[in-house]
Amino acid sequence: MSEKLATAVPSSGGSRGGSGENGRRLLLGAYFDFIRIRFLTMLAYRVNYYSGILIYTLNIGVNYFTWRAIYGDGESLGGFTGAQMTTYVAVSWMARAFYFNNLDREISTDIRDGSIAIQFIRPYNYVLVKMMQGLGEGLFRFMMLMIPGMVIATLLFPVQLPTEPSAWAGFLVMLFFSFLISSQINIITGLSAFFVENNEGMMRMKRVVVDLFSGLIVPITLFPDWLSSVLKVLPFQAITYLPGSVFTGRVQGVGIWNVLGIQVIWFLILLIPIVWLNHAARQRLFVQGG
Amino acid sequence: MYYLGLLIEYLKNYMKTRLTYRADFWVEVISDLLFQATNFIFILVIFMHTDSLGGWNQNEVVFVYGFFMVPFGVFSCFVNMWGFSERYIVKGEMDRILTRPAHNLFQIFLENVDPPSLFGSFIGLIVMAISGSNLGLPFEWWTLPMLILLTLSAVAIYTGIYTTLTSLSFYSDAPTGILPLMYNIQTYGRYPVTIYNRAIQVLLTWIIPFAFVGIYPAALFLHRDEMRTMALLTPLVGVVFLSIGLMAWSYGVKRYKGAGS
Amino acid sequence: MNAIQVQDLRKTFKVQKNREGLKGAFADLFKRQYSEVTAVKDISFSIPEGEICGYIGENGAGKSTTIKMLTGILVPTAGSLTVGGFVPYEEREKFVQNIGVVFGQRSQLWWDIGVIESFQLLRKVYRVSEQDFKKRLDELVERLELQDLLNRPVRKLSLGQRMRCELVAALLHNPSILFLDEPTIGLDIVVKSEIREFLKDMNREHGTTILLTTHDLQDIEALCSRVIMLDDGRIIYDGGLDDLKQRWGTGREVQFQFGTATKLQQLIGWTEGMPVTWTAENELAAKVWIPLELNVSDVLGRVVGQADITDIKIIETNTDDIVRSIYQSGSAEKPEERIAALSDEKEVIHV
Repeated sequence: MSEKLATAVPSSGGSRGGSGENGRRLLLGAYFDFIRIRFLTMLAYRVNYYSGILIYTLNIGVNYFTWRAIYGDGESLGGFTGAQMTTYVAVSWMARAFYFNNLDREISTDIRDGSIAIQFIRPYNYVLVKMMQGLGEGLFRFMMLMIPGMVIATLLFPVQLPTEPSAWAGFLVMLFFSFLISSQINIITGLSAFFVENNEGMMRMKRVVVDLFSGLIVPITLFPDWLSSVLKVLPFQAITYLPGSVFTGRVQGVGIWNVLGIQVIWFLILLIPIVWLNHAARQRLFVQGG
Repeated sequence: MYYLGLLIEYLKNYMKTRLTYRADFWVEVISDLLFQATNFIFILVIFMHTDSLGGWNQNEVVFVYGFFMVPFGVFSCFVNMWGFSERYIVKGEMDRILTRPAHNLFQIFLENVDPPSLFGSFIGLIVMAISGSNLGLPFEWWTLPMLILLTLSAVAIYTGIYTTLTSLSFYSDAPTGILPLMYNIQTYGRYPVTIYNRAIQVLLTWIIPFAFVGIYPAALFLHRDEMRTMALLTPLVGVVFLSIGLMAWSYGVKRYKGAGS
Repeated sequence: MNAIQVQDLRKTFKVQKNREGLKGAFADLFKRQYSEVTAVKDISFSIPEGEICGYIGENGAGKSTTIKMLTGILVPTAGSLTVGGFVPYEEREKFVQNIGVVFGQRSQLWWDIGVIESFQLLRKVYRVSEQDFKKRLDELVERLELQDLLNRPVRKLSLGQRMRCELVAALLHNPSILFLDEPTIGLDIVVKSEIREFLKDMNREHGTTILLTTHDLQDIEALCSRVIMLDDGRIIYDGGLDDLKQRWGTGREVQFQFGTATKLQQLIGWTEGMPVTWTAENELAAKVWIPLELNVSDVLGRVVGQADITDIKIIETNTDDIVRSIYQSGSAEKPEERIAALSDEKEVIHV
């Protein structure tokens, strides 16, 4: 979309960076501007927006009925009751609205058309800017898609949302980490365009893998044992499955802290390849001349 | 004849381009298949926990899935509209299309042919053969002609729907995000639509008729008589939706010519 | 017969307005505001067959909108036009068979494959017979010296090489009218003049009508007998290049180099009674500005006999300066006319 526009306007003077306390504050302001500009950009596409609500609701509906058919007369599947499954489906699709973004595609486009060189010489951190833009997009979908969508879903389907505020607070925190981890994976996929000639295939695979292995399509406990034990050591479950389990009340008490812990750990682990890729990319860009 | 000649010429050029990036070709084939595999995994996982999905057993659902892959592969090969808005509207290549003496939509199809997608159709045929023989389906005299007819009809439905959606790009606030979301929805046409409630059934049958690219036509080969009428309606739906798509397109082009980008 | 005939051509766009700030963006979500902008304002002109005409104007003056209407990409809001005997937007596919288009900043060649492959494909698209194609291609290739480039992929060509290939691509089907949008943009001087020579030959040998837009006035001087100048959607000048110079050239400048020191006072004294202006750079160099109505030779006659001159240079006002001054005044006619026409951009709110 209008990425060029968004990055070309790091207004409020932040781009100079400056020095000392004042400069840092300006730079921080610039980062917040990236969130704001992306939010406004998203708002500009109203057909996208209206169809987004409809399609997300439809997705929840179809998944709900599919699962109802799968349950048939059965009581529980993989530890999920029918009601929990409904809530899980609704919550994970809505969470996806928040954490999903196309940073991978944006970054690899920047790399392929060469505009990343300009981005890299600007006095801000490119990866951080991308994160901020992703956040702006996420906030837009959270407020404009997820909340109205959730309301529609609760009206149409028997979704049971928790009532205690702590569950909500916990969920929001975890949702934020879902966003971080999902975006980190996107950034890694995007930056890989520096090193492989065409990462189109990688991006597609990533998309499929994240949807399937994060537990969006099938909750991880329903997978065969060998697969679910593999998935437990991969980062994807921290995006959908774990927060969804907490929100549906399947994980409670100390378990909640475990879930958060796992998210934090994955966040930290995924920082390593990003820092490394970012460094290697700079090296490649400036030492070898692209 | 003229257009057939062009198609061959464009395919030749595609091949020449691709020979320079051979690795990409295989990466694309593999990622396509992986994409299909995940859906396949979904079916397998479901049937680990249940014997029937709305009265359809595993082999039947897999068969439907196999059929679904066939027209989808053909469609993705010849009608590839990904990135239309970005490439033709934002970068202005539509202008070039309009200064050439061939139908504009056809030129765009030709410029984006994507033969690797045909591998999906191929795999789909294999899946149909395997699950069909598991089910002991007879191979009748009409099986092959019907398969071709229904595949073409389904391709027409896809083309109609995606052309309609793509022609929205001609409007100022182009819904660039709809296409990927549509990809999610079309997959719902592979499951027995009877499991959904009335509203979603109507939606998938008459409004965005993805049920006609999967479950309905496939039901014919499975001798599911309750969906026979629907299966036979597929060509008609194909014609109707393709016409809608072409009309929307020419309306969009007219608007483009009226307003620029 | 006229190759291009344009009568009262008008093009109005509806432009979406984005209201400012978050609140404005939310408001836009539900209700959009549009304003109407008229990019081309009732222009009329005709270009006879075989003419090379330059179409110039500042960015946003309406040049590319006109070109797009002439090539059938855009449908005019009002007015009539015929190009090569067709109404471009009506029988588009038949019409474009007869024209060639080069957009300087966009390629019509396939990026990854040899140039010749693109040509082959265009041959099929334009239904050129194998025989004609071969003849035409040989001719163009030889003329533009492309022999060694034919099998190279476009991405490996330099900009100049690419532009020459673009010209071939646009001319393979032997169009009678050629539209060039910024054909020399970004090219070096050698390639520029090669392309100009080529276009001139094309025009002479095949009688190809050429309409080109450019920012490079050297293109105009080298190629065009006629210029149409556009400003803010209106034609402000349509006529020969020489006329334009005569009408707008305000004078000439003569530079002198002297063998011995010559005082500015002396120079002024020698040309007493003439409305000229002297400036001295140092004792050995001076220049004089002579208004158009005065003969340069008269001035020279006064100076040559008296001073020890080693070198004389006469400098005509160049087209760049003329065009710049026209733009600044906004009209090649009288300044008053413009005021009446100033702003008919009206704001329309669509709900």
